[in-house]
Amino acid sequence: MRCEWMAKIHFEKRNTTAKWVLFLVPILSIVVGLCFAGIFIVTTGKNPLDVYLLMFEGAFGSAYGLSETVVKAIPLMLTGLGVSLAFRMQLWNIGAEGQLYMGAMGATWLALRFPEWPAYLLLPGMLLLGFLLGGIWGLIPAIPRAFLKVNETITTLLLNYVAILWVDYLVYGPWKDPNGFNFPITAPFSENAILPVLGPSRIHVGLLIAFVATILLFVILRYTKWGFEIRVSGESAVAAQYAGMNYVRNILLVMFISGGLAGIAGMTEVSGITQRLQHGISPGYGYTAIIIAWLARLNPWAIVVVSFVFGGLLVGGYSIQTSGFSAATVAMLQGAILFFVVGGEIFIEHRLRLGGKGGKP
Amino acid sequence: MDKFKCKYRVLLLVAFLIAAVLVTGCGGQKTADNKPAGSEKLKVAFVYVGPVGDAGWSYAHDQARKYLEKEMPNVETTFVESVPEGADAERVLTELAMKGNKVIFATSFGYMDYVQKVAQKFPDVVFMHCSGFKTAKNVGTYFGRMYQARYLSGIAAGKQTQGNVIGYVAAFPIPEVIRGINAFTLGVQSVNPNATVKVVWTNTWYNPAAEKDAAKSLLDAGADVIAMHQDTPGPMQAAEEKGKFAISYNTDMRSFAPKAILTGPVWNWGPYYVKVVKAVADKSWKSEQYWGSMSENIVDLAPYGPMIAEDTKALIAKKKESIVKGEWDVFTGPITDQDGQVKVPAGQKMSDKEMLEFNWFVKGVEGKISK
Amino acid sequence: MGTPLVVMRDITKSFPGVRANDQANLVIHKGEIHALLGENGAGKSTLMSILTGLYRPDSGEIRINDQAVELHSPKAAVERGIGMVHQHFKLVKTFTVAENIILGLQTSGEYYHLPLIHNQIREFCQEYGFRIDPAAKVWQLSIGEQQRAEIIKVLFWGAEILILDEPTAVLTPQEATELYKMLRLMADRGKAIIVISHKLNEVLENTDRITVLRGGKSIGTVITKHTTEQELTTMMVGRSVLLDVPVKEQYHGDNILTLKQVSCLGNRGQLAIKQVSLEIAGGEILGIAGVAGNGQSELAELIAGIRSLEGGEKYIDGTNHTDSSVRTLIKAGVSYVPEDRLGTGLVPGLNAVDNFLLKSYQQSSSWFINWRQAVESTQAMIAKFDVKMASLLNPVKMLSGGNLQKLLLAREISADPRLIIAVYPMRGLDVGAMETVRKLLLAQRAAGKGILLISEELDELFALSDRIAVLHEGEVMGIVDPQAATIEAVGMMMAGKRMLKQDAV
Repeated sequence: MRCEWMAKIHFEKRNTTAKWVLFLVPILSIVVGLCFAGIFIVTTGKNPLDVYLLMFEGAFGSAYGLSETVVKAIPLMLTGLGVSLAFRMQLWNIGAEGQLYMGAMGATWLALRFPEWPAYLLLPGMLLLGFLLGGIWGLIPAIPRAFLKVNETITTLLLNYVAILWVDYLVYGPWKDPNGFNFPITAPFSENAILPVLGPSRIHVGLLIAFVATILLFVILRYTKWGFEIRVSGESAVAAQYAGMNYVRNILLVMFISGGLAGIAGMTEVSGITQRLQHGISPGYGYTAIIIAWLARLNPWAIVVVSFVFGGLLVGGYSIQTSGFSAATVAMLQGAILFFVVGGEIFIEHRLRLGGKGGKP
Repeated sequence: MDKFKCKYRVLLLVAFLIAAVLVTGCGGQKTADNKPAGSEKLKVAFVYVGPVGDAGWSYAHDQARKYLEKEMPNVETTFVESVPEGADAERVLTELAMKGNKVIFATSFGYMDYVQKVAQKFPDVVFMHCSGFKTAKNVGTYFGRMYQARYLSGIAAGKQTQGNVIGYVAAFPIPEVIRGINAFTLGVQSVNPNATVKVVWTNTWYNPAAEKDAAKSLLDAGADVIAMHQDTPGPMQAAEEKGKFAISYNTDMRSFAPKAILTGPVWNWGPYYVKVVKAVADKSWKSEQYWGSMSENIVDLAPYGPMIAEDTKALIAKKKESIVKGEWDVFTGPITDQDGQVKVPAGQKMSDKEMLEFNWFVKGVEGKISK
Repeated sequence: MGTPLVVMRDITKSFPGVRANDQANLVIHKGEIHALLGENGAGKSTLMSILTGLYRPDSGEIRINDQAVELHSPKAAVERGIGMVHQHFKLVKTFTVAENIILGLQTSGEYYHLPLIHNQIREFCQEYGFRIDPAAKVWQLSIGEQQRAEIIKVLFWGAEILILDEPTAVLTPQEATELYKMLRLMADRGKAIIVISHKLNEVLENTDRITVLRGGKSIGTVITKHTTEQELTTMMVGRSVLLDVPVKEQYHGDNILTLKQVSCLGNRGQLAIKQVSLEIAGGEILGIAGVAGNGQSELAELIAGIRSLEGGEKYIDGTNHTDSSVRTLIKAGVSYVPEDRLGTGLVPGLNAVDNFLLKSYQQSSSWFINWRQAVESTQAMIAKFDVKMASLLNPVKMLSGGNLQKLLLAREISADPRLIIAVYPMRGLDVGAMETVRKLLLAQRAAGKGILLISEELDELFALSDRIAVLHEGEVMGIVDPQAATIEAVGMMMAGKRMLKQDAV
């Protein structure tokens, strides 16, 4: 019986994917993920619906929760945009985390070295340095990729550890706050090195930077000749070469900008949020960015939306802890949602067929 | 094509309905929330840096939270665990304050600046920051003189070691940890002047695998007793697997490594938490920097393992008595540093300030503090 | 004829916007070679994908040995004895022939006795009268041998019904003849063979029955002996088609392309083109004959600038372009219709407008692309060249082979080039599309352009070219006048025999 039933379910590749599938599949996936996690919540004796409402409320239900969700979304947006640009060209930049750290390092260096500079000089300087250092960190693996076809997935990933350990070295060593009781933190930034915030919230100018980056990226990809080259190169490298596009130069440039955007995320985090460099500045934004870019199907606007949802998922996760959920339950919940959302992607490329015409029961 | 359009509309409708339910559901939740706010229960919140788990630093605080709930039925507690000492801490503290908690215990040093920031926004909420040094009108700090218990555990370790090498798995080179290592080493050397204490930094509070690996490296380097300043029983388990001994920390960890654990300094926050919350309840609370001693029972030693000799127990009991009675404290001169320089002359005692800013190792410690 | 082995009745299969099969019927008997004939987009591939379990029909019935079957997966089809040899071989290049065969075996047990498999393969070879070394790595084999390996693999899996998709597209005429000999032996041993093709001659010569598909419908099944080329084309296209190329007038202008002693490396680092000297004048078609893999693609890439020269000189319109980049050469008027249309010539995932812009976007001096103008010119071009597509905005990978080629040629011709390099431009096209491509190339020739035509079809080369150069292992064996030379003479040169001096043009 079981076999017959199994035989009646199978996947068939879709020839085309309708627009509504693109939107509906992720939404349904989230619902299925919530149902799945709900089973576990029920076993702990709580009502899953209450939990989800609490989570939703924590992330989106109050002005404060909403503002914190936005705060979380800023670095996710910037790294997500960076990663998506590289992915467009089929460059698997897994190194946004390290590029973020390098950007934070560059910005911190300027902030600590020239604390007395006026803000209108210091902040753009930090932004530029963050972009540059993040960009260089993206460029390093791009060079062997462009000239020797060295797989960038591995090199970008490994450079993450280098960047994180480098920052660790600095905050444990030369840049350690002399008044910090040996804690792995740099001295706090001067007022001039801190990004302005919106009202009493923690939403900083990074949001504006992220929006500008979104618009720029959208315009570049959609309307410029260079964006066209990136799209062509991503779809088919041989076609790009056939059409006389400078594939090597584009690899270098795209990886530089991709890293640079992650670097900006590092800059806005140290300047807007922690206001100093410290150990563990990013709880894996660079890795979450990969999922975000993927779920957003590399569309800049969708990245904004998905980042916001992910920010909410993270913020809401802490929120429900106050109603007696262990951090492990929260991680499981987040994991279940992610699992189903990512797993649901298969339905975008495939359709599910149950049984066949005239099949016997 | 028409079929698709139709389907699309239906699904859109479903999605809209789900969204509507969520939104209205939230509205309902809000009104429901207002009710308990009207009740008279005093809300107290705790922020932990690691998961509560079943042993360790956060576990000790959580035991005290439960103790508080038991002692004061009129108190309602919540906690948030695994809160990193970064941007997230500020939000969690804010949220807890917004949810009507009147006392918030922030139980890790790294929360210090965030506690200050949030406390400014919520002047009616009392913030208690563990192990920090920044106070405000509504921010108090609290800690215990763990070094006293560390010293006593050092005696047990010094008596037990055969090869005169003791390993110490340490989290971060901050004064609290350094103080512990120094006190422990003084304890070891008080009974075994030839023994040295080798220190390995893990740069993490909570990473069972890394801490266990660090302990293994110390065992491989010849250590036969492992002490630690971490949140997990990993180092103890490493000692147990090698048939060596260990000094636990935070809570009674004997169940994790029954053959290895000699004893260990433990935290006992419960009575102090009750005291603070009672003071807040009757409005007598005032900001202070509390540094509780063994005499107040905030720190102690865990029960001994079976391998501890009776004369060792007697020796430790004697030392403990003099500490509790206030006749003697650990950092009483003469104390020399690693280079043999006398840092505390004979007969003199280190001040609290000096102890809180420890950034050097005493003689007998093998290790480096990165500066 | 007894009970048919396979009956596909009233098969209908729709994809959004397209009805790929519309009540198609197909009856296959044991021991026959059956051709499935039709233009691109006629539904041949979809019908065979249904038979091999890749797609499920929306309606209709499949019977095998008079039993209704549900083929819900490729595995189920294999279990029913249906095997397919794809146009792109599904072989692991770094494995040996034997290893490739073992790879897909469904029998139980995890251990294979390699010498035993080798022996079995040899027995198979003997039975069907060909030779292949079971221990040879696949990448060392010629295309024809790889195809044989693929066929053996499918037979090893127990196929009783063997489907071959365009099997001769990659073979020399001799190899094609051998293949059909082999297929005949298999049919004689009771297998049923289905050949997907649109080569009329080949089908007429080698098959027993022919089923013609058009627009997803089965137009009819005919017995090969009793039909004619003319009847088949009418069935395929729905109207009669001019099969012969009109006699061409001679145009001759100045030299557009001059190659002096050029050499270049192939993908594996070997010398693929060795000191080749060629000239193409305006209004001239220079045909390149040769067995696939003798330097044709490299020659095309060398001229287009994608492959750099190891030696020699290259001139376009008298200007030295020896070291020019692809972009410079495009500007100099070199158009290139590559062998790999979808992937190199066209970007599969992008739409027609994007693909139309692939080269011309560089012409504007602005940083931005004028999309409105691009859409308009694409529309104009599509109308002019009669490219059929559902929407300008669909990815071009959804187009049929013939329309792809038309789109590609349209773009390359619209650039108003000086020189057109066309590599296997007719490969895989149906009769109607071939006719269009031929007309387009001849029109360009009449417009005074230089054309380098690389083809594997000697008939085609003889019909279109003003001169034919024969490549063998990267060297020009000789250049002949198609009016004077014989196919046999060219065939000898393709096999490596250098032309005698006095025959030279």
